Amino acid sequence: MTLLRVEALTKRYGSVVALDALDAEVPRGLVGVVGANGAGKTTLFRILLGLAQPTAGRVEVVGIDVAADPIGVRSRLGYMPEHDCLPLDQTAADVVATFGELGGLPAKAARQRASDVLDLVGLDEARFRPIGGFSTGMRQRAKLAQAIVGDPELVLLDEPTAGLDPAGREEMLELVSRLGTFGISVLMSTHLLDDVQRICDHVLMIDAGRLVVAGPTASLLESSGGVTVDVGHDGGAELLRARLAADGLTVSVTDGELQLDQADDEALDRIIAAVAELGLPLYRMGPRTTSLDDVFLERAGR
Amino acid sequence: MSQPLGATSEPAAAGAPLDPSFVPDPTIEVQDLSVWFGQKVALSELSCSFGAGVTGLLGPNGAGKTTLMRAVTGLIPVNQGRVLVAGADPRANREVYRRLALVPEDEAVPGGLTARGLVRYEAALHGLVDRSAPDRALERVGLLDVADRRVDGFSKGMRQRTKVAAALVVDPAVLVLDEPLNGADPVQRLALIQLFQALGAEGRTVIVSSHVLNEVERLADRIIVVVHGRLAAAGNQRAIRETMNDRPRHVLVRTDDGRRLAGGLVGLASVQGVTFEPLGIVVSTTQANELAAALPGVARDLSVRVREVRPLDDSLESLFRELTR
Amino acid sequence: MTAVGGAVYDRGYRPYEGPRGGRSAARLALYLASIRRALGLRRSWRQKVAPFVLLGIVTIPAVINVGIAYLTRNTPGNQIRFITYRDYVGVSSALLVFVALVAPDIICPDRRQRVLPLLFSRPLTGFDYVLAKVAALTSILFAFSFLPQVLLFVGQALVSDSTLDYVRSNADITWKVAASCAVLAIYYAVIGVAVASLASRRIVAGASLIGLFLVSSIVSGVLVSGADAQANGSFGALVNVLALPLALRDVIFLGHIALPSRLAGVHDGAWAALGVYLGVLSIGVLTLYRRYRWTER
Repeated sequence: MTLLRVEALTKRYGSVVALDALDAEVPRGLVGVVGANGAGKTTLFRILLGLAQPTAGRVEVVGIDVAADPIGVRSRLGYMPEHDCLPLDQTAADVVATFGELGGLPAKAARQRASDVLDLVGLDEARFRPIGGFSTGMRQRAKLAQAIVGDPELVLLDEPTAGLDPAGREEMLELVSRLGTFGISVLMSTHLLDDVQRICDHVLMIDAGRLVVAGPTASLLESSGGVTVDVGHDGGAELLRARLAADGLTVSVTDGELQLDQADDEALDRIIAAVAELGLPLYRMGPRTTSLDDVFLERAGR
Repeated sequence: MSQPLGATSEPAAAGAPLDPSFVPDPTIEVQDLSVWFGQKVALSELSCSFGAGVTGLLGPNGAGKTTLMRAVTGLIPVNQGRVLVAGADPRANREVYRRLALVPEDEAVPGGLTARGLVRYEAALHGLVDRSAPDRALERVGLLDVADRRVDGFSKGMRQRTKVAAALVVDPAVLVLDEPLNGADPVQRLALIQLFQALGAEGRTVIVSSHVLNEVERLADRIIVVVHGRLAAAGNQRAIRETMNDRPRHVLVRTDDGRRLAGGLVGLASVQGVTFEPLGIVVSTTQANELAAALPGVARDLSVRVREVRPLDDSLESLFRELTR
Repeated sequence: MTAVGGAVYDRGYRPYEGPRGGRSAARLALYLASIRRALGLRRSWRQKVAPFVLLGIVTIPAVINVGIAYLTRNTPGNQIRFITYRDYVGVSSALLVFVALVAPDIICPDRRQRVLPLLFSRPLTGFDYVLAKVAALTSILFAFSFLPQVLLFVGQALVSDSTLDYVRSNADITWKVAASCAVLAIYYAVIGVAVASLASRRIVAGASLIGLFLVSSIVSGVLVSGADAQANGSFGALVNVLALPLALRDVIFLGHIALPSRLAGVHDGAWAALGVYLGVLSIGVLTLYRRYRWTER
């Protein structure tokens, strides 16, 4: 089943167009929604949760038409807002269990699942402490716990790595990518393409309310072919270039690294042979990659 | 071209190699700086210096980065040690203080102001008479066309840029920015990175703190890493990695016959171990250069096709992880 | 005997296959959670002090009455009453302090700590939220007024010459007490929740509530004494937000409004009181509707 189907989705607030005729079909898995703050990501989330009515268009989440059943759709979704949103004077276990009950779980089940998910997010030891005493990283994890306590089909994460230092960010990304293995799909909004590149299978890029990119991460990053080779900065690059050019390969040097157009097996063998023969150190050799940053810049066309 | 601040402290003795935490021509000198708030020690006998160009300031949350930034711009008193900007104490010397600008992380903006209003306000506070300065600053950050919109209606990224403009309008010699790229979309990020690089190239001392390490890699020539209030590393990223030779590096090699290649590599003195991963073999070494030199020969001699050679911990991310372990 | 084999189990994620409630389950959960919060259950001991001390205070008259009745049961003075049932459904300051404490506590933190967006990501509408909160506060206020009455009734019954006779002859008291406690509870709950919804800080909300009650009773007092109302009562008494439900209580107990209410002699005073009562409730509900209308246009 498709995770999300959006047809001509438009949302206007007075004269401001928050979302402009979005069309997308997104498969299950980890999906990144990228754009600056104010680009329309939060509006999209609110519409998915049935908290805002679209001005035009249709939205279907996990098979449910949101306009038809805005309340029902929430039973299948989890939501992790960007801002602090948990009561500070209650313990993590209490808060997560309560939110489980608020999602429709019977009290006992809610308590048990709360305990399970808090263990999953790494708050096992801290779960009987009030949230007021948690660090930013812990609070983010508690927020994630309440989002998954109801075993949703899809969780909406709004900037889950915001405010986290590199270590915290990596832990959070690792947690989020594990959600996929639990059978939970993820719609993660972020302004960091790096987050998306690391863990998302699918990307939606929104710029000023318009969908500028939609597609599987892998295909977006498909390199234009070719190979990059780094043999150090002691002049070896030029030697190698000359040698490979003589071999008939199309090669140039940029920033001290060689760029080749060919990437077939024969080319790879020639490169290794040439490097070995010239006695050069091989630091790096690999496909020429683009980053999502480049894709966005290109497509957003500004 | 920004005006230099003036004389700095004595340069290092000629011929002596400089400790990378110091620069030869510093604008800002931090000497045995300690700052505490009640029982909490934010900075502990930290010594380093900053010069022209862009320096990245890194560290885990709560490590003392914000405190250092505030101390260096003269916003907080120091408990021990001293901060010298152009040889003077920024808290005592008004002239120097006025050339320092700090752009803090997203904080509340006075309500009701437009972007232009905020920048003009900042200019007025500093007694600037140049009337075109606010617009020029706004243009530099790309907000001139929305200058008459209210700042509280801006997105986070635009608010940050407005604050950068407010800092730029006073033509600072020192510009310190706390997470300036927060909330900006990829296009805005690139624009800001280019702006900071340009400011650094103009001779200003730009200090940027950020958690997005791959951007710091692009942006800063030099990094300072603070952990638990103390200096954990300083200097050029590559060079720092070189000094961490006792910690093994890992290189991923994708090949058609991992086992055979591994067999050939294990015999090398530079190889500490080989692991088999789904993607390929991962070779760990404490002598990355020797491994790089030997690898092509081994592959050729064994007739094993190599498809990819990728060092796994070249990034600032992995460096940071090592430093904060 | 040696163990038979060994195994390691995967403590991974367990999907939930059990029953799931919908809106009504969520509403009930919010109701119960609000009650728990008000009474300090599942929180530290300090949070339980205020509610239970107040409950104790509110129960004191019942204890005194039963005590006196018990002590004088065999003497001719055994008709001494410390307090009547009607009087007991009164506006005790303990109860008002409780409203000013609890209503902000269950309403303001949700707004201040920005929990509302999270709540509305559950199958809950603004209406459900208001209903659950008002119901929670009503239940507590009802319990706090009704339970002491039960204590009084049962105590009196046991202490009187014939328990059965007492119960039979005072049977109508039961529904009158329940009805008037309900009238009061709903009223103060709606006012409490409505005023609290206007503020983000508990102190502001609490002070506003107390202020509302005090000011309206003072103004009412001025209006009442201003007119030549001493003998005939005055409509000015309707302004007293605080004491309004007492008029309805009187109607329930006695069929008409009695002293010391200033409405006592007013023609059609009872209808006016009912009208104002419903009016106040409507204003409260309208306020709540505007504050929690979570789905936009």
